[in-house]
Amino acid sequence: MAVLLETRDLAKHYRMGAATVRALDGVSLQVRQGEFLGLLGTSGSGKSTLLNLIAGLDRATAGSLRIFDQDLAAMSSLELTLHRRRNVGIIFQSFNLVSTMSAAENVALAMMFAGAARDARQREAAHLLEAMGLAGRQHHRPRELSGGEQQRVAIARALANKPHLLLADEPTGNLDSRTTREIMELLKDLNQREGKTIIMVTHDPALAEQYAHRIVTLLDGAVVSERVIASDSPPRDRTGADA
Amino acid sequence: MTLRDALALALRNLRQAKLRSFLTMLGVAIGIASLAGMVSLGVGLQDQFVGRFTRSAMFDSITVLPGADRPGVMMGGGRAGFGRRGRGTAPAVSGRPERDITDDALKELAALPDVREVYPNLRVPVEITFGGESEFTAAAAVPMGVRGEGAFQAIPYGRFFENDSETACMLSLDMAKRMNEKAPGSMIGKALTLHYPTAPVNGVPQRAELSCPVVGIVERETGPFAAAAGVAPVMITMGKGREIYQAGAVAAQAMAPGVIRPRTYQAAVVRLTRPQSTQDVEDRIKSMGFSAYSVSDAMQGAKRAFIILDIVLSLIGSIALAVSSLGIMNTMVMSILERTREIGIMKAIGGSDGDIRRIFLIEASAIGLLGGVAGVVLGWVVGRAINFGANIYIEQQGGTPGNLFSLPFWLIGGAIGFSIAVSLIAGSYPAARAARLDPIQALRHD
Repeated sequence: MAVLLETRDLAKHYRMGAATVRALDGVSLQVRQGEFLGLLGTSGSGKSTLLNLIAGLDRATAGSLRIFDQDLAAMSSLELTLHRRRNVGIIFQSFNLVSTMSAAENVALAMMFAGAARDARQREAAHLLEAMGLAGRQHHRPRELSGGEQQRVAIARALANKPHLLLADEPTGNLDSRTTREIMELLKDLNQREGKTIIMVTHDPALAEQYAHRIVTLLDGAVVSERVIASDSPPRDRTGADA
Repeated sequence: MTLRDALALALRNLRQAKLRSFLTMLGVAIGIASLAGMVSLGVGLQDQFVGRFTRSAMFDSITVLPGADRPGVMMGGGRAGFGRRGRGTAPAVSGRPERDITDDALKELAALPDVREVYPNLRVPVEITFGGESEFTAAAAVPMGVRGEGAFQAIPYGRFFENDSETACMLSLDMAKRMNEKAPGSMIGKALTLHYPTAPVNGVPQRAELSCPVVGIVERETGPFAAAAGVAPVMITMGKGREIYQAGAVAAQAMAPGVIRPRTYQAAVVRLTRPQSTQDVEDRIKSMGFSAYSVSDAMQGAKRAFIILDIVLSLIGSIALAVSSLGIMNTMVMSILERTREIGIMKAIGGSDGDIRRIFLIEASAIGLLGGVAGVVLGWVVGRAINFGANIYIEQQGGTPGNLFSLPFWLIGGAIGFSIAVSLIAGSYPAARAARLDPIQALRHD
């Protein structure tokens, strides 16, 4: 499987008053196309920071981050915007839907920025929401939807511009166990059937073990362990790192 | 993101905060109303002035006054005229001849190039009797050349003189009203009797009588050029005027023999074949030793004065607009604070800085557009109301009512355009701030 994403000595330092916080301190990592990667760690381990860097929401302090052979560090702010628009779909713990917009409008909004025509947006949004099992809930506002439903809308939105890479930051952190399973099955399905590469940040080892092909554990901004999980998912990495 | 989508999103945001959008818009409307109202007042006053001016004056004419101003002569009266303060009245340059307006001078003036006609500003003292009452006044002699021009463009009752020797008179509307308050028009056809002095017989002053039917009534315009244009309470033809003047001169000669009294006029009017040569002819007349001024001179001076008035009025009007632009800024900053998370979401799902900026700029200009339109309407309504009240007062004072506020299309368009421009400027800082928001920070915002 081709390498989709590669980081080398990736570092992100914040200045907090006089002190420098090393949120990421030299992370080298490869993610293959079609992989379901679990990023495990406690709060403050740097897992969300890594996800934000991959998403192009933030810039690294040092090191390199290549996606589709493009160096994110070298990108202008507009290029990073285009990266967020085309290459990645982000799923947040707190859903981050626009509260004043209906489910369909939220999904269509992502396509609006990509310049899709109004008709196409509406059609595609309806189609995506239907696929997420929200056929009857399209015109509901987020507060009229349950947490699970909101996260489905968010997933539909993440898929709106057909990205290869889905980034999920504690996607089930605000959900109960039954809904968690539903959402995780949905992500697994997207990974298996549609070949979406998924990087999921979680603090729950059991969840990661159950769904991810590989688990990378971060602690204090550095990778402390990397485990390949025996999973029933087809895209396995057998060959190890490519040259 | 297309402009149309940005527009839809921006309008949606405005609808989301209806009350706040409305109040901000109202602030802009009041600002624009005050600005448009002030400029509209300036334009209205200018229209009023220029209107009166052009109705009572002729643009192809130059008023000639005797000599250049000399101290004492002004004070002595007789020569003091309104136009003497005009730009055209240059003080005497030493070495230049100073001339009185005599019949010879009139001939000289008539011989200048581009001059069509020259006539003196001739007023003769007469006593008028009508219906048992009498009044001393100065009858103005009106040349045939002003038919249909200046104050004689519109004759509310009757007609202009038919020929220069017609024994007839015209009245000003004021005079006609004094004679018949309720129906001044009924004065047409009635005969006035003019009494004037003639050559004495055996040392006894004689008076001649002339019965003049009223043929027309002119609505007297109180413009500065009314006198030069020949408007007076009673007007007779130039021909009759000269006759009466001649008779008076003979009478005066007879009463005070030996005193040489060359016949002079207080002023003369030079009519040109084309208005463009006004300046040339004016300069020539001045070099001949007369004072001269034209309507164009005065108009130019007045226009400059009105530009200053307009600027002052718009500065006053702009104060309210400046305040409302702060209102826009405040609203936008608040709105960004409120929507910080939403902006973060938009950026995370692919909205560019430019998209965000554009949405906010469109919101600002929409406030500007709606506020501008509402402001023009508001300004118009308030202007009408003030105009209505002012005209009641003006009519009570005996003036002619008119539009003090004028709202031409350029002012409507300009006010709305200005409103949008001010809103865009006021919105540009908040919009830039929104565009610069760090998405991660914004997403953490509650």
